[in-house]
Amino acid sequence: MSAHTHVEGQLPHEPEKATLEGRNKVLGFWLFLGGETVLFGTLFAAYLSLRDQVLEGPTANHLFDLMLVAIATAILLTSSLTSVFAIQAMHQKNVKSLIGWLIVTVVLGASFLGLEIYEFYHYVHEGHGFTTSAFSSSFYTLVGFHGAHVLFGIVWITLLIIQLSRKGLNVVTAPKVYVAGMYWHFIDVVWVFIFTVVYLMGKVV
Amino acid sequence: MASNHGAAEQRTKHHKVEGPKKHVVAFIFSILLTFIAFATVISGEINKDFIYVILMGTAFLQVFVQMAFWMHMKDRGHTFAIIGILFGVVIVFTAVIMAEYWVWW
Amino acid sequence: MAHAHAVKRYSGLMDWLTTVDHKKIGILYLIAGGFFFLVGGLEAILIRIQLWAPQNDFVGADTYNELITMHGTTMIFLAAMPLLFAFMNAVVPLQIGARDVAFPFVNSLGFWTFFFGGLLLNVSWIVGDVPDAGWTAYAPLAGTTYSNDHGMDYYVLGLQIAGIGTLIGGINFLVTIINMRAPGMTFMRMPLFTWTAFITSALILFAFPALTVGLAALMFDRLFSANFFDPTAGGNAVLWEHIFWIFGHPEVYILILPAFGIISEVISTFSRKRLFGYSSMVFATILIGFLGFMVWAHHMFTTGLGPVANALFSIATMLIAVPTGIKIFNWLFTMWGGSIKFTSANLYAVGFVPTFVMGGVTGVMLASAPADFQYHDTYFVVAHFHYVIVGGLVLGIFAGLHYWWPKMFGRVLNETLGKITFWTFFIGFHLTFFIQHFLGLLGMPRRIWQYLDGIGFNEMNMISTVGALLMGVGTILFLMNVVVTMAKPKNASADPWEDGRTLEWTIPSPPPEYNFAQTPLVRGYDAYWKEKMEGHKGMTPAEPIGPIHMPSPSILPFFMGVGLFVAGFGFMYAPDWGHIGALKTGHFIGIIGLATTLLCMVLRSMIDDHGFHIEEDEILKDLGGKA
Repeated sequence: MSAHTHVEGQLPHEPEKATLEGRNKVLGFWLFLGGETVLFGTLFAAYLSLRDQVLEGPTANHLFDLMLVAIATAILLTSSLTSVFAIQAMHQKNVKSLIGWLIVTVVLGASFLGLEIYEFYHYVHEGHGFTTSAFSSSFYTLVGFHGAHVLFGIVWITLLIIQLSRKGLNVVTAPKVYVAGMYWHFIDVVWVFIFTVVYLMGKVV
Repeated sequence: MASNHGAAEQRTKHHKVEGPKKHVVAFIFSILLTFIAFATVISGEINKDFIYVILMGTAFLQVFVQMAFWMHMKDRGHTFAIIGILFGVVIVFTAVIMAEYWVWW
Repeated sequence: MAHAHAVKRYSGLMDWLTTVDHKKIGILYLIAGGFFFLVGGLEAILIRIQLWAPQNDFVGADTYNELITMHGTTMIFLAAMPLLFAFMNAVVPLQIGARDVAFPFVNSLGFWTFFFGGLLLNVSWIVGDVPDAGWTAYAPLAGTTYSNDHGMDYYVLGLQIAGIGTLIGGINFLVTIINMRAPGMTFMRMPLFTWTAFITSALILFAFPALTVGLAALMFDRLFSANFFDPTAGGNAVLWEHIFWIFGHPEVYILILPAFGIISEVISTFSRKRLFGYSSMVFATILIGFLGFMVWAHHMFTTGLGPVANALFSIATMLIAVPTGIKIFNWLFTMWGGSIKFTSANLYAVGFVPTFVMGGVTGVMLASAPADFQYHDTYFVVAHFHYVIVGGLVLGIFAGLHYWWPKMFGRVLNETLGKITFWTFFIGFHLTFFIQHFLGLLGMPRRIWQYLDGIGFNEMNMISTVGALLMGVGTILFLMNVVVTMAKPKNASADPWEDGRTLEWTIPSPPPEYNFAQTPLVRGYDAYWKEKMEGHKGMTPAEPIGPIHMPSPSILPFFMGVGLFVAGFGFMYAPDWGHIGALKTGHFIGIIGLATTLLCMVLRSMIDDHGFHIEEDEILKDLGGKA
């Protein structure tokens, strides 16, 4: 197919869309994100319907620490920006800068995850365990699904960094990087709704 | 293939690589919206329903900004991406309505 | 250029385990789906034997519950959907003039995850802890309080794994249809089966994530003592109903739409007429797909959602009758004035139309919420959904099997035997389920394992059982047909029905690995028919003959399926299998399984697949040999 139609060594303007395989990957990933929207939407729906069922456990208002959430949000938002810079570097065919921005993204993602783990640890000590109530189960499931997505993203982008440093940027690696960037933005978008619906609305009494 | 020449057209059209400026603007916009949301809740003096409206408003605005600029959804060739995400959002809405009105009564 | 890459091409069993060829994957889906169809059919026969006389004790009450649960689950998830995927794999790329699907590797992964998920579910029969809370797994019955053995764990994990396979299969077909169409194959020139495959894939994409969440929540409830659906801990049982049906109703359309597509192809071909109202068919398909998401609560009228919700969902449900009616009339008008050939495939298609109408009519009856309070949980409902699923989907599948068998295997199924099969199955079907409408109206509840003598149920149940046995005979006749046909030489021509209208009939039966030696140029709807009518022998090629790039086979998808299978087992039995150090043995095994799958993903990502090329002389040799 079209994998070999380009002159070796000269990368096209948007290398992620240069081959049919690349375009398939990008489109397939967009559709996958549509499915992920439903996945998180259903998790949100479950959380919304169960969030008042706290039994003897602490309420959302009592539990959540907005300072922590604000820091986590700032970190994840910034990592979204750095992943945009990575894609820009890719379009400029600057592999070094691309790898650099990806590393920054991974580090920010890891610190977000660290904060989240600390947060969960803290909540469990406050008597808000996974099995405490329907509220706690749905809370940990929703936020935990997001956290698992972040973890997966970190591992994925790390693998891409290794591949980029070994194989360089070409029409095979470019779509992978582009798609990982989309994934990272999507995680950020989901987080926007998590901090809005779970944390901020939980604080409104 | 239909999508084939679309990509070729794009390639010849604007070879200029976009600068980081508009992404930084989008970022500042996002931070601002996040700040408004947090500030509204922390101030706590306002009517509850009004807070909800502001929160959802800022959230959707922020998502729109990020999807349009960072995920390039406003660019050409994203028809099916937009259909996919929008249809997902429609289903999410029905699910949320279900959760709010038809689970407990 | 990458010609020098030596790629191992396997043969025998390894060929089937590693294949990424959509045609072979289609056959794998057919075999696996066919196997599960036989298992589910056997369960159905056992159910009917139990019910054939009052207070029968052929099986115990517990076994009966297991049988109905596994019959429903197996037929929907492991038989019907894979059989449709078999057709989608075998036919869709050919109909759009593509050499392959968009993601051949993912395609194979989809099959193996489905297969191992289905295997996990059915291992429960061997272990003896079988799911028994109904195929809908309503909480709190499906929770640990009432289902304390591992039965429902098999349900939750087996379906979760099989669901992953279905989801990625759906994405694969969406991208294939959007991006891989041959030059000139615009959306409004696509054959209707491809259209329905497209919409079905979209429904899969948006419906299955809801099931994923529901199953994950139920799994957390069962394995990690979460409280989603446990009312004593603040959970909500109705939430499960909602989540299940937000997935479950689109699932009904996921099943029936491809059958609509098959019927459209078969009726049009054997009436030797253009499909009547093609664009209204497309529009109706899209509309059904969309409305399918807005009607889930009609399964829950008696839950007590209140008059407003019930009224809304009643109206939305009745709306679906409009696009469906459009389709029925279009099929009738396609046949009208056509020179109809009653081949076996067409018999099934023609039998489909009135049968499905009957299922649709009872559907509209059930859509009326006040009436539904009477019908709910009676055999009327059982009759209704078997009319749409067996009378609709299974007849559609049989039509498709007879129609595309030569394209898939190079041999035409025996027509005489095919017609005998049709009449046996068709009469058996109506005998089984028509009478159940009346059983339901008389008040016989579904999901009961015994009924009393002297309340007027005896004869009707007896008739129903006789019908079920007849359907069993029909299925056996079909298998005999397959065996007889497979013993014959592989001599089907490219266009064995001689009236083929679409691109799959322009290439040899079975097609070569690369499908099209030259990508065809499509000049209109019913591309092949158009060329025939203008006196051309075949399609105009859109490219010169040249080397064709193919993806390499891979064993990784198989091991990814195995990994998930092992992981499912480990997590399920963690409470029973003791500890290794601080870690539970089961969790240890589960982590090993997941790690296997993830490792395969990493390998896939890190090692570039350069594929291989089929050279010009090989293609020319194929062309010469077949011409």
